Amino acid sequence: MAWQDYVHDMQRCTRCSYCKWIPYRYVRNTNFMEGCPSISRYHWHAFSASGKFNMAYSLLLERIEITDTFLDILYKCHMDGSCDISCKVQQDLEPLQLMQELRMKCVEEGQLIPAHMSVIEGLQKEDNMMQSLKADRGNWAKGLDVKNLTKEKADVIYHVGCRYSFDKELWPVARAGLNLLQKANVDIGILGAEEVCCGGRAYELGYVGELMKYAEHQREAFQTAGVKTLVTPCSDCYASFKVLYDKIGKKLGIEIFHITQYLELLIKTGKIKFNKKVPLKVTYHDPCHLGRLGEPWIHWQGKEKKGLGPMIIHDPPKKYRRGANGVYEPPREILRRIPGIDFVEMYRIKEYAWCCGAGGGVIDAYPDFAIWTASERLKEARSIGAEAIVSACPWCKRNFLNAIKETGDKIEAYDLIEIVQSSI
Amino acid sequence: MKLPKEAYQALEDIVGPEYITQEPEILDTYNQVWGNKFFFDEKHSVRPSAVLLPATTEEIQAIVRVCNQYQILFKAFSSGFEYLSLSLLHGKGILLDLRRMNRILEIDAKNMRAVVEPYVSVYRLQLEAAKFGLYTGRIGVGYSAGVIAAECCHHGCQHTMVFTSGYGRNVLGVEWVLPTGEVLRMGTGENGEDLFSADGPGFSLRGILRGRTGANGGHGIITKASVKLYPWYGPPEWEQTKQPGEVLSLGQLDDVLNGYKVFIPTFRNLDDTLEAAAEFCRAEILYALGIGIIGAEVIPEGNDEHWAMIQKMQNADPDQREGLDLFKNSVVLVIGGQSQREIEYKEKVIMAITEKWGGSFLPQYNNQRSLARAFADIIWSTGVNLRATGDFLPSSSSPDGSPDMLKRLALLEGKVKEKYEKSGAFMPVGSIEKRMVSWRPEEHLSIGAQGISTAIYDPFDPFSLKAAREFINELFDPRSQFKRFGIPSRGGCLQIEPVTHVHQNWGHLYDHYDVWLRKIKKMLDPNTVADWTAYIPPDYPDYPKEGDYVLPSYGKEENNF
Repeated sequence: MAWQDYVHDMQRCTRCSYCKWIPYRYVRNTNFMEGCPSISRYHWHAFSASGKFNMAYSLLLERIEITDTFLDILYKCHMDGSCDISCKVQQDLEPLQLMQELRMKCVEEGQLIPAHMSVIEGLQKEDNMMQSLKADRGNWAKGLDVKNLTKEKADVIYHVGCRYSFDKELWPVARAGLNLLQKANVDIGILGAEEVCCGGRAYELGYVGELMKYAEHQREAFQTAGVKTLVTPCSDCYASFKVLYDKIGKKLGIEIFHITQYLELLIKTGKIKFNKKVPLKVTYHDPCHLGRLGEPWIHWQGKEKKGLGPMIIHDPPKKYRRGANGVYEPPREILRRIPGIDFVEMYRIKEYAWCCGAGGGVIDAYPDFAIWTASERLKEARSIGAEAIVSACPWCKRNFLNAIKETGDKIEAYDLIEIVQSSI
Repeated sequence: MKLPKEAYQALEDIVGPEYITQEPEILDTYNQVWGNKFFFDEKHSVRPSAVLLPATTEEIQAIVRVCNQYQILFKAFSSGFEYLSLSLLHGKGILLDLRRMNRILEIDAKNMRAVVEPYVSVYRLQLEAAKFGLYTGRIGVGYSAGVIAAECCHHGCQHTMVFTSGYGRNVLGVEWVLPTGEVLRMGTGENGEDLFSADGPGFSLRGILRGRTGANGGHGIITKASVKLYPWYGPPEWEQTKQPGEVLSLGQLDDVLNGYKVFIPTFRNLDDTLEAAAEFCRAEILYALGIGIIGAEVIPEGNDEHWAMIQKMQNADPDQREGLDLFKNSVVLVIGGQSQREIEYKEKVIMAITEKWGGSFLPQYNNQRSLARAFADIIWSTGVNLRATGDFLPSSSSPDGSPDMLKRLALLEGKVKEKYEKSGAFMPVGSIEKRMVSWRPEEHLSIGAQGISTAIYDPFDPFSLKAAREFINELFDPRSQFKRFGIPSRGGCLQIEPVTHVHQNWGHLYDHYDVWLRKIKKMLDPNTVADWTAYIPPDYPDYPKEGDYVLPSYGKEENNF
């Protein structure tokens, strides 16, 4: 659906403001009841999902135009989907999809954010979102004894994604993930320098063509490699492969796992066993792309109709993505099984988790906002006495590390892979 | 329109450049509220000249003074989730978004009161007060509504009013920036002391501050209010949970919270239901009272699921259908107490009254899950009223009177509504064959009820919208069959002067109350800078159009001032 097709939603947004908060019935601590970083940080209603509906409706009626202010508001948003979940507790509206379509419209019309232009230029040239050289992509795995799928065959492909490939500080995590899988005798390989971006982040910025291109490329590459299963330690990549490719009709035709799902299977089947205690009080941060945004896509084509007078229904019935089917339990289950771990939950979890701050291109264009959002999450983690915040995505870890560095926060930030590795 | 440069600069100097905007992209997110389509025939009301985010009373005071100096209209709001909460008479007006004033300044447990700033929501205060064994009531609003908006500015009624009362009764001292820019602290606040009481040594003025329907921003800005709190018998914290894979809207309490009990008696007919409800109220035992449909029903996750459920009901065999429809003669009763003995006494009273009126406790409503659901929905909020069609209008705002009057109105209004439901303009509550009369008790039912016939209509469906306007006219015009008496209002229970000319057209029919209201407005606001679109103008405009829903200039000519 194009952005104009959401006119129903634009008209029927009531300004209840529920999009600004986590769903009220789940509020347990009033210091941590906000759900949307954008409105929390910038205050103007325009920064909320409701405000986006309002701006879009005004744009549709030609009351306003796309200006720098419009772009600033549209892109100072992590596209984390918290608003979408809260809205859908009360309404049948699609704020996140409208925001996505608005971004696509901006790109289509050449209304671009300079910081994102550089990233996209890098992507188009070097196949990655990190403005790094394609040739260096496989360096993270240097020295590892792992199959190169351009030359050898394996059942499973380990796709680390752009952040793990080029963020040297995070290389040990990517390597540890691979090591865990190999130790469990998984027949696994990598594409090394031939691995390319999933295209998901570019899509979030509004570049739908990039997603199409990379989806087609990946399908071909995976078919050539002959793999049956993909495992990725990156939540962004997971959401692209699992959800976005399906959304655009480019399903990969292989099984897609986030590494936490795969590790859970290996643990449950006894292929990974914990030998060491990890004496740490930790909390788990749900990456948006693994949680609510990792919920499978639901295809629907039909039309709105009326029932029982003016009641708004659909033919055929429309099932909305309300976040319930994201990946929430596997990482928690793993943490619960690790000896010594004292696992405590934060106040905003699962479908209504607060974002780490890296998503939607914010880390590239508005780094101060990215840090602010991460800092808010660290405060929440500290408030429940956690010594460490554990996530399952390199973007989350990177942004938490940045925030810790910036604010001098004493909390530790880990990826779940690191915790698992410590206990073996 | 843009403000004069010097006026904008003066405002910017007060709040700083970060907290004032005149960007059209942002301004146009401050004039789109539910209900606008009904009143203005379009989603947008007038675009403000600027929006500001003040953080202190002093800033607001300075802003109001600038408004007086440059003849700029102003209106302040908290969540903005209310009819006309953001509407301005014309384009030379500013809005004050009070979201930065969001502190709970005090919870005085000993004296059972809280002092809050405007952006503190009712639910947030409820959560915080519960830690002290206290509770604040709410009017008919969702979770996000502000405490000050509910207690000091707007009309509405809700299920706990039988216990917590409402309207001006819960307001103690307030800090009030008058339209002149003066700060008025009422009662004990007069000499800068605590806002403990509104009743002296300084002025009280609660009647003027709030009255029954509220001034809706028409006579200044309440920047701080001390409000009454009531006992909370439950635990300091609670959790609503759901099963993995279930959608969030299905989350609920596992059981009614300790300290409370819920009963859902079902009666044979509407007469008995209302008589019993009135008697429950008079017995002074209830913590909350609602109609069965509000609580016991599990609200499906979306309209399509809701539709499927309705169809399943309609296709059920007649016996089962009869059973499902019984909620229309059911009431939800919540009792609480400090001791087991207190709860037992209240329970006995419920049993006796239920028996007297021939009621029974049906297992499909009185199971653990239904009762827990009913408790949460009545004590807090369901908040899904706007999903089915996009809007609704409670037909009756507070018909003052007895249960007899409530019943009479309910039945008569039901007949009026029936024709709109049968035409397909409104969604029926219940089903076409088994239509139910919906009502909300207002305080002790000795005062009245609201929402007797809720019109569930689609504002963007011209047929449905037209019907909603006709329906409200039929019910509210004092010359109609109902001969309504009391402060007149139309949908949303507000006084919507520029749109419907309520006061001008009807004031003379109600003992000229409007003359006094206009005098108050003039006295408080000599330069007419506090926007009066939801209050009353000091002088009536010279373009009254009886029965006209949209002023010729309203929302159209932003430069006409």
